[in-house]
Amino acid sequence: MTGFMDFYTPGSTFLHRMDPRVKILAVVLLSLLAFILSQLLYLLVLFAFIFLLLYLARVSFGKAVFALKFLFRFMALVVVLWPLFDPVGTPVLFELGILKVTLPAIERGVAAALRIGCLATVWYILMFTTQQRDLVHALVRMGLRFDFGLALAIALRFIPTFSYTIEAIKDAQRARGMELEKGGLLRRSRNYVAVLLPAIVSAIRTADTLSLTLQSRAYGARRDRTYLRELRMRRSDFVALSVAVALFVLPAVAKYILAVTI
Amino acid sequence: MVSVRNLRYVYEGGIEALKNINLDIASGEYMALVGGNGSGKTTLAKHFNGLLRPTGGKVFIMGRPAAEMSVAELSRIVGYAFQNPDHQLFCSTVEEEIAFGPRNLGFAEVQTKERVGYAAETLELEDVLEKPPASMDLGTRRRVSIASVIAMDPKVLILDEPTTGLDADETKALMGIVSGLNREGRTVVLITHEMKLVSEHANRVVVMLDGRIVLDSDARGAFSDLELLKRCSLLPPPVTCLAHRLSHLGVSREVLSTDELVFELTRPGGDRR
Repeated sequence: MTGFMDFYTPGSTFLHRMDPRVKILAVVLLSLLAFILSQLLYLLVLFAFIFLLLYLARVSFGKAVFALKFLFRFMALVVVLWPLFDPVGTPVLFELGILKVTLPAIERGVAAALRIGCLATVWYILMFTTQQRDLVHALVRMGLRFDFGLALAIALRFIPTFSYTIEAIKDAQRARGMELEKGGLLRRSRNYVAVLLPAIVSAIRTADTLSLTLQSRAYGARRDRTYLRELRMRRSDFVALSVAVALFVLPAVAKYILAVTI
Repeated sequence: MVSVRNLRYVYEGGIEALKNINLDIASGEYMALVGGNGSGKTTLAKHFNGLLRPTGGKVFIMGRPAAEMSVAELSRIVGYAFQNPDHQLFCSTVEEEIAFGPRNLGFAEVQTKERVGYAAETLELEDVLEKPPASMDLGTRRRVSIASVIAMDPKVLILDEPTTGLDADETKALMGIVSGLNREGRTVVLITHEMKLVSEHANRVVVMLDGRIVLDSDARGAFSDLELLKRCSLLPPPVTCLAHRLSHLGVSREVLSTDELVFELTRPGGDRR
């Protein structure tokens, strides 16, 4: 588990090299596209397209399986449950008491599952191919306040550290005879206090130290910041951006202006 | 007390942290476990109370296979005081904190009180029993964390870098207490980077390098092989290093304290120019 705290997989595919701002924008547009489309066929095409991108990102197999395992289970659940709560339409496939399963409901269930699949996978691709600091940097260059960006970066950075601390605390308390899974509700909740309280104290101590180190490194001395790594759009970035915008705008125009069912 | 046979441990992710470790710790020993960072000291010690389970090989505690016992059962025999006391302190008073272990082990309230009294007395905490541990200085917090382990009356006490961040007085006081616990008959395993402590207190030194035990001897023997120690990122106490430098004057290389060096330099005879 600890190995997957950061989804980023180093690589040099065109997705890795893409300007992170373009990548974020493209991901948002493709996500919106998944909501515009309602025809099963088009959703399938989008799903296939996104999986092609995932393939092109050359993500390590282990990480991809780890991420997609949960997604596929969830999609399967949606497909199964959707028709049970949506008995609208004909033809009715079978009826049993209050249970009524119709073909359009199944189609809608599959469409919803595909939509979720597209949405999750496209964001996974962003996480797989972009370093956290680039992500935050891009958000800041897109207008996020720098201190918010820094807070976000620090939060992401400290997830693995914090999980390590919690493991160390668990070890320390187990060495004092604590058994997390044993005992009644009262005993167990007390045991969780024994883990959570030191964790919170240690998080506060860390935050305190961190704020001091930030200040001692002249954080906030100047309002206008310079950046070590400049983001510059290359021609390939403009191409990618155009493709993403076109992929979104054309179906949107077709649906909302030309009133074509897609 | 503790027997380790052909112990091998591989961390998730494939790093082999322990390679074929064989070790016997006798009852009443004061053993120092030393080595550079990442040499496997803590990984080895965590096997003594079951926090880690072997990938290969076996660990026996008092003749019983550790694999058959839970961490809670093992913690009755092997107490482990971690490096950072803040990873375990969570109660509102020192007394509660010390009582946590005995209560977990199901001691009766009378017995728990007795254990807390003993631990507080041993670690010199009687005056602060009602105070919150979180707001105390590091030296006291560390004593509280050791008291909370001692309260379970373990026969073996593992101390993981107990003096990190302590000043000279606090270190001296703490190590004095630990020596007392050893005199009571408790086996002490001291994990440390401070060779001065090792030379002053331990009667056995086990040196680790890259997941292997490379040296196992008394403190005198351990500090005589400078080359080996260097490879293990260790430096003997300054007085021992000085003795090595003076060895051409006939000074013994096995000097462990200032007094011994003074004796070596002032004793009559020897080849001194």
